[in-house]
Parts: sequence; structure tokens; C-alpha cells
Amino acid sequence: MTPVLEVANLRKSFGGIAAVDGVSFAVNSGEILGVIGPNGSGKSTLFNCILGQLQPSAGEVRVSGQSIAGFRPCDLNRLGVSRTFQLLQVLPELSVRENLILAGQEHRGSMLSRLFGPPDAGLGEAAAQMIDFFRLSHLAEEKAGLLSYGQQKLLDAAMAFMAGPHLVLLDEPASGVNPSMLALLRERLRAINQEQGATFVVIEHNMEFVMALCRRILVLVEGRLIAEGPPEAIRRDPRVIEAYLGN
Amino acid sequence: MKTRAGVIGRLVILALFAFLVVAPYGLKPYGIYILSLWAVMTIAAMGLNITLGYAGQVSLAQGSFVGIGAYTTAILTTHGYPFGLAIAVSILLCFAVGWLLGYPALRVQHHYLAFVTLAFSTLCFLVFRNEEWLTGGIYGISGIPRPSFFGVPASSPRAYYYVCLAGLALVSLASWGLIRSPWGRAFRALRENAMRALSLGVDTRLYTLMAFAIGSTLGGVAGTLYAPLVQYIDPSPFALSLSLNLLLMVVVGGSSSFFGPYLGALIAVLLPEWLRFTEGLYLIVYGALVVVLMVFCPSGLLGLAGRLLHRTSAAADPAAEAPR
Repeated sequence: MTPVLEVANLRKSFGGIAAVDGVSFAVNSGEILGVIGPNGSGKSTLFNCILGQLQPSAGEVRVSGQSIAGFRPCDLNRLGVSRTFQLLQVLPELSVRENLILAGQEHRGSMLSRLFGPPDAGLGEAAAQMIDFFRLSHLAEEKAGLLSYGQQKLLDAAMAFMAGPHLVLLDEPASGVNPSMLALLRERLRAINQEQGATFVVIEHNMEFVMALCRRILVLVEGRLIAEGPPEAIRRDPRVIEAYLGN
Repeated sequence: MKTRAGVIGRLVILALFAFLVVAPYGLKPYGIYILSLWAVMTIAAMGLNITLGYAGQVSLAQGSFVGIGAYTTAILTTHGYPFGLAIAVSILLCFAVGWLLGYPALRVQHHYLAFVTLAFSTLCFLVFRNEEWLTGGIYGISGIPRPSFFGVPASSPRAYYYVCLAGLALVSLASWGLIRSPWGRAFRALRENAMRALSLGVDTRLYTLMAFAIGSTLGGVAGTLYAPLVQYIDPSPFALSLSLNLLLMVVVGGSSSFFGPYLGALIAVLLPEWLRFTEGLYLIVYGALVVVLMVFCPSGLLGLAGRLLHRTSAAADPAAEAPR
């Protein structure tokens, strides 16, 4: 079976610094892959290269076997690849419901049907379900900017799922989220993974969260992959311990 | 509660519209002219509100599109072409030029974009003034005819006021539809966070160009109505000051609020009349008022009204402000 995502010899340099230095890996359908590494190890740059936000200096990215060189983030999103950002990225002046409708509307119909069609682009029902699913019903009409940090994180994740993507890249979904909200987030991510068969790649610093969620973890240090394997093996790997704690 | 507010809102709009319909019967021709000018400026300000208020793209060139529309109409109608054709040409021309003006916005934002549009505004003014063969230069174009509809001439001030009012009504309905549509949502997403919008499948490039093109088109429509209203145009009304004035209308009324431009244009058109007794001091008073407003209420007069309304309803119903 063709992997959902293949990254081959990906490299991205900023001036003389190689932020991502020859990284290769593949993600299979339905997998939840974790990517960990110290700050500045190139995790977010890796995401931005995969998603077309940055142009890689060398190497190739294939989604379901198709090379995505030159794709813009919006083209990629319409192919079913979705993401969340490390820093909060909801649209603060729009209501929770409108944030979700926006997240789905460009996947339906044409520019013309979006101009003359219904204001909610036929997504009212789907948005309501997503709001329920992430337990945000009491906040549906609230401006997203007025939500608490954890609630905005949930909304951010919900937006990434609104268009029914088959591959979702989550950049530090757990950072700054309180434990009870974190449990909810983990449970919701698992549910989407099992019910819809969506594939996830998760960057995370919260070890407990990432170890509980993923069955395979990549470790990135200074732009290079230094280890790969199941959570238990990664936890014991001396190279990983050295990278995090130093000598 | 929400639906009741909606019903009251609709009744207020209907009452205001009815007032606008009967208003010319109680006014002298000069009053009717002022009201017509308000309708025209509101259309132009609504266009800028789409580009700037909703889509967040700074433009200091809206007045130039009013000029392009006005000159197109003046040139065509004084050469015997029908008013309907002038509207169509103005719309197409302003849409195309507005689209082109959108390209710099794909590369630069905020005050850099303001400078680009400022340069465009200056360029248009120079074309209006210097291309005498086309625009009549500083002598302008006089004798612009007012149109007739189905054989009924709209040449009296009152009849032409109704043309402007009908234009305003049509543009209002169209923009209301646009703002509520998924396009309106995409425009706001562009303003709020273009990078996030892009990652959600929103073609930010296309929507940015569209925001410029549509906003500019409304400027052109305003110009098309303006030329037969004043019947004589020269370059001076379309200088940078008009663009700045339109910007003030949007900001003073309440940027990105649908009814902001109506209120902003009303103030910008009426205030000079009310402050006429101050003579040279008018601009100083106007400027001071704008400074005070911006310091105390950056969301404009409608934002201020919303805040006061919220405060009174919260006072009447203490539970409304209780933390959730």
C-alpha cells in the first residue's frame, strides 16, 4: 500500500544553517506518528516544508504517491491535508461556528456557488456536529478570540478536521492546555483516527501526551533524524536521552 | 431575544428607507442635492468598507475609482451614448483596474500598501488633469446629461435623487448578500489571519484580488452616479483628499460594520454644511472630532453605539454580564 505521506531526503537551509538536514520517513494510512525533539531541532520547519508554507531546498514530499512540489497550502488543503499551528491560529473576530464553516467552505462547490449559494455553504449541520464533538456547544456563537486558551486549542484542532482530511499535521496541540482539556483532546483525536481512519503526524513536547497517543515516534535533533521506534524504545534510547539532557 | 432584535432592526431600516423616500418633499433643491451626494458617497464608502473593513486591505485610492467612473460616464454620455452603457463600462473598467491594483497587495501590506495605492491615486489625478484630449484637463467636462428611464427623464433634482437612492438600495442589497456569503467570511478571514486561511483551503490570492476589484467597482458605480448629479466635472474633486475623506467615512462610521458607511458618509457630507458658519475653522473642528473619536472609540460611531447599547442592556439584565 502506498504510504499517505512520504518524505525523501528533505533539506531546508536558511543561509548557512540547515534547519532540516536530509530527513526521510513514511507515514502509513491510519497511523498516528509522533515527532519529538528539543527546541530548534527543525520540527516546525519540517511541517512547513511538507505543507508548502516553505519551499524545501532539496528532497521530495509525496502525498498518497503524488509529488506536491510547487503546491500552495490552499491547494494541498483541498487535497485533504490539514494542519494546526504551534501558536494559536483561530480567527478571533469570527464566532466559533463561523471559524468552523470557514474551515470547510472552500472544499465545497465553486467560487460562483460560494457567492450565490447559502451563507453557511451547507455546512451548518456539520459545524454543529463538530462543535458538539469538541464540547464547545455553549460557546458556538461566541467570538473565538474570547475563548480561553485551551478552548481555542480545541477549536483550532476542530477546524483542522472540519473538511474531513485524510492527513492531519498537528504542531504542538497540547502546549498550554490544562490536564482535563488535554484528556479530552487526546480522546477526541483517537476517536477521529479510529472512526474516520485519518492519519496524524503530531509534533509535541509533552512526552506523556505523545507517548500515550502515538505508536511510533521520530526524534529530530539539529535537523537530523536520530531515532525512530515505539514509545518504550524511544524512552530508553541513550541518544534521545543525551539529546534532551546533554552529557 | 435575538429574533426580536432582528425584527426591530428590520423595522428601523424600513422606517429609515421610507423617510429617505419622502424626504425630498420637505427639502429645497440644495437639500436634495446634499442627500443625493450622501447616497453617492455611501456607495463609494461601502466599496472601501469591503476592501478595507472586511478584507483588511488598506487602500488610499478609492476616490480615484469614483473619478474613473465619473469620467467614463461623462465622456460617454456627452458623446451621446446611453447611461446604461456608461454604467456597464464603468463597472468593467473599475473591476479590471481594481483587480490590477490588488497585485501589489499580494506582496506588501499595511502602510506599504497604503503608499502603493497613494501612488496610484496620484497617477490617476495626473491622468485626469493632463490628458486633455480625453478628460478636458483642468477645464473638465460640462453639460453632462442626466439619464431618462423608459422615456421618463430624471433631470429634476428630485427625480435624480431617486435614481441615486435606487442605486444605493441595489448596492446595499448586493453587498449585504456578499458580506453574508462564504465570500464575506473568506474576506474577514483574510483580514484576521491570512496564513491560517490559506492553510484552510482559502485561495487568499484570488480573494485579495476580488476584494480590491469589488470595492473598486463600487467606487466606479458611485462615480457613474456622481457625474450626472453635478453635471460638470473637473479633476479637483478626485484628488487624494476624496480618498482620504472616504477612508474617514469608513473609519468614523465603523470599519467592517455593514451600516458604518451610511453613518460615516452622512457625517462627512453634512458636517461641512453644519460647520459652514465656522468658515476656515471647519477642517480644524472636523479633524479634532475625528481625533477624539479615534482615541475613545477606534471601532467608530457604530462601535460606540454598540458599546452603549450593550451597557444599557447589561444594566437592565445583570445576568447578561455574569461570567460563564
